[in-house]
Amino acid sequence: MTALRLENVSKVYPSGDAEIVALDHASLEVGDAEIVALVGPSGSGKTTVLSIAGGLLSPSEGWVVVGGNDISEYNPKRLTNFRREKVGFVFQSVNLVPFLTARENLLVVADFGRRDKKKAAARADQLLGELGLEKRKHNLPAQLSGGERQRVAVGRAFMNEPDLVLIDEPTSALDTKLGEQVMELIVTEVRARDTAAVIVTHDPRMTRRADRVLPIVDGVIGDTAMS
Amino acid sequence: MKPALLELRRRPWRFAPAVLALVLLTALLLILGGLLDGLYTGFTGALRAQPGALLVYSTDANVSVPRSRIDAAMTAEVKRVPGVERVGGLGTALLGADVSGQATQASVALFGYQLAPQGVPGPPEITGQVYADTSLKAYGVKEGQTLLLGPTRYPVSVVGWVSDTNFMLQGSLWGNVDTWREVLASARPDLVMAPGTYQILTVSTAQAADPARVAVAIDAATDGTTQTVTRSFAADSLPGIKQQRSTFIAIISTTFFVVALVVALFFVLLILERTGIYAVFKAIGASSGQLFSQVVLQAVVIAVLSFLLGTLLAMGVGALIPPQVPLQLTAGRAIEVGVGLIVMAALGSALSLRRVVGIDPATAIS
Amino acid sequence: MLAASREIRRSPVRFGLLAGAIGLLMFLVFFQQTLLSALLNSFAGALQNQSGTVLVYTSEARDNVEASALSPDVIAQVAAVPGVGQIGPVGVATLTLVAKGQQLEVAVIGAEPGKPGQPTKLISGRLATAPGEGVASAEAKNFGIGDTVTTAAGGWPVTIVGLTQQSQLNVLPTLFATFDTYTALRKAANPDATAVLASALAVVPSSEVSPEALAAAINAEVSSVTARTRNDAAANALGVSATQASFVIVLTLAVVVVALVIGFFFLIMTVQKTATLTLLRALGAPAGYLVRGLIAQVALVLGVALLLAAGLLAAAMVTANTGLSLTIEPGALVASTAAIVGLSLLGVAFSVWRVLRIEPIQAVNPPALGGIE
Repeated sequence: MTALRLENVSKVYPSGDAEIVALDHASLEVGDAEIVALVGPSGSGKTTVLSIAGGLLSPSEGWVVVGGNDISEYNPKRLTNFRREKVGFVFQSVNLVPFLTARENLLVVADFGRRDKKKAAARADQLLGELGLEKRKHNLPAQLSGGERQRVAVGRAFMNEPDLVLIDEPTSALDTKLGEQVMELIVTEVRARDTAAVIVTHDPRMTRRADRVLPIVDGVIGDTAMS
Repeated sequence: MKPALLELRRRPWRFAPAVLALVLLTALLLILGGLLDGLYTGFTGALRAQPGALLVYSTDANVSVPRSRIDAAMTAEVKRVPGVERVGGLGTALLGADVSGQATQASVALFGYQLAPQGVPGPPEITGQVYADTSLKAYGVKEGQTLLLGPTRYPVSVVGWVSDTNFMLQGSLWGNVDTWREVLASARPDLVMAPGTYQILTVSTAQAADPARVAVAIDAATDGTTQTVTRSFAADSLPGIKQQRSTFIAIISTTFFVVALVVALFFVLLILERTGIYAVFKAIGASSGQLFSQVVLQAVVIAVLSFLLGTLLAMGVGALIPPQVPLQLTAGRAIEVGVGLIVMAALGSALSLRRVVGIDPATAIS
Repeated sequence: MLAASREIRRSPVRFGLLAGAIGLLMFLVFFQQTLLSALLNSFAGALQNQSGTVLVYTSEARDNVEASALSPDVIAQVAAVPGVGQIGPVGVATLTLVAKGQQLEVAVIGAEPGKPGQPTKLISGRLATAPGEGVASAEAKNFGIGDTVTTAAGGWPVTIVGLTQQSQLNVLPTLFATFDTYTALRKAANPDATAVLASALAVVPSSEVSPEALAAAINAEVSSVTARTRNDAAANALGVSATQASFVIVLTLAVVVVALVIGFFFLIMTVQKTATLTLLRALGAPAGYLVRGLIAQVALVLGVALLLAAGLLAAAMVTANTGLSLTIEPGALVASTAAIVGLSLLGVAFSVWRVLRIEPIQAVNPPALGGIE
């Protein structure tokens, strides 16, 4: 099955008297357990692709189907539910809730999904264990290193067993060694769970690990696979 | 033009909540101050208007006019005290008055006097004639009208007007001593005083004499049966005056504190939201001091604007309030409120200093 | 509620200070209310807690019993109104008396033994039955049973044979005596008085007639008097409405301040954690989840504040030395608590609006200058 299908998706913003075309009839298909890397310069629309695929934005035109659900016409409330159930995010700046411990940062996803608390706790502990954060799970973000925080963010992205994980420049703020570790982590987790992933990145180490690498320029996704 | 003032001009709605709150608080402060002043004036007018510096009560009256009783013998002793220039008897009766054509009675304080208070002509020659305080106009009283006093409806006729002479919030009527005695005999036989006996004496002292010393001398001369006090002391001793003043001052002070609180909280919020902009300003060279002074400037401008609008609101409310409510809006009180408002607003905004100083210009570029 | 509850747990000082401040303000409101009802009682408790269910005084006195003087004619007219059962003259005056060696302002109330007008809240001793006997208010501790009270000049001794509570007039120490004693004290204070008239009549209706009906009948038949049930007379007494008005201003201010403080505090916090809230929305938290969390935090703060206020009130009741007898009136406290809660929620509405305005897209695309427009 296709984890993600964007068909002729456009996103246009008004800007003063003119219009900004962030995405211009972009199309993309990502298979079930595929890792696709999106590469492009600043302003090329890669963040917009992620936002639309993740239900943070609605397209001005076109279709967006994630895990079999056509979310193109979803209203904000349905998009919220969709994000909670079907999608995982790893943001560019780590974005953990500062007053929740590592473990609680994972549990909070289940909390607003009103999931079974025991199951959620078990899953969170399992994920944290796999991520090597067993001993750090009761620490607040301020007490964690940069790499540990990123690992928590990765764990949170998988907490709701998503069909698709969307990752925005995961290594851009990290030094070489840390970047390697996080990259390794992401790919391992994605593969282990047979989840699809779209990774926006500049990092060639990341692109080497992807199944496909697609360029995006001026809102148009190229179809040349660059491995 | 300074960015702070430009922001006020171009984004006025941002400041609307604070201005609204401060306008209401200003109107409240002015009305509270007006009530305090009106109550004081309405309670104490008759005493403040007395021509002499001193008032003499009987000791057992505890500086209460209705309970005081000075007979002819005591009066004679007072007159003999060195430094005493003139002595006049004063008596009062608190009554209801029927005003022709009006459904409700007016509350009046009838005075019988010998020495004319400030602004009041000498005692009417004809018994039954009185001067009325202008506040009674609100009750429909007119010059030349006959008022019927007390349960026995004793008639008195209004022959002229005086102002700021009220007593215990009741409109005063000033007649000669005989008028007072006759009204008492008719309406309140239990309060009647024999000829020569008055409730209090009003004493004016010789120019060279020190009123404080004369007061002590008077009480000594009467063997302690009198208590001689100044007009202001007498005014402050009226029942309820001190409690009124302390209650109102407590309320007014609290309200000023609320002003500071509103401004402080509002600016904390504003600065939080402006952190990015302030970081940019700092990055391009503005000092914390300059930013902070902009904040204070905005607070002061808001305070001034709110004061002006609040004053209009208070005046509007004052126009709607029935005249029986003792509201007295004065320029002096308004100036006090204005200054207080500006000071509290500036203080309130000053609490944001730490926040402004703490903004890191480096965050402008991350 | 995970996020909301953990936030409180991790910022106990901030929330604690807020709950403390609100608790103090709520205590001020509660205490003022208790003080107010005791004060109102002290203005006119003597009128309310005496045996005449209807009180009659001159209309001209405008609900100031002390300013009223009823002539014998008028008294006869009132007595003739159908429905009047028992009737007793009541004299009311403020006099300077000496008690326990101290000169005091005392509200003296004279009533004939066996007739209406006797105090109904005797807490010790007995009623005055003979001249020279009196029943005094217990509150200000100026009187004890067996004490002798005299005029300022030392004459006309009155022996205290009983003590009352909640039976004061004009917030003064109050002395109930026989009408003869009252007359004697009045004449001692003013020897020139030609007559000492009754200030009011205390009336008990005959058995088939209600106090309200009798008051209405007297008002209709005798034009120069005002007849009121004793509760109405107390409610309309001089000083009651003015005192009530000033307290109401203070109470309203306090309640408004509570709402302001809560509203602003939560608004500031909401703005401060906008990034976190945006993140949670991006992760799929429904707006309702965030709003519920906010409301839960407000409810917790108010709950703790309420407990604090109740505790402080209990302590104040025991330790406060106001000269008034304080009793808690649950109805009034519930009403002001409801007002505070209601206004606080209104104050928080602005924060709720901000939360609802959050655009989850801003988790990936923060607005240019780090501020919220």
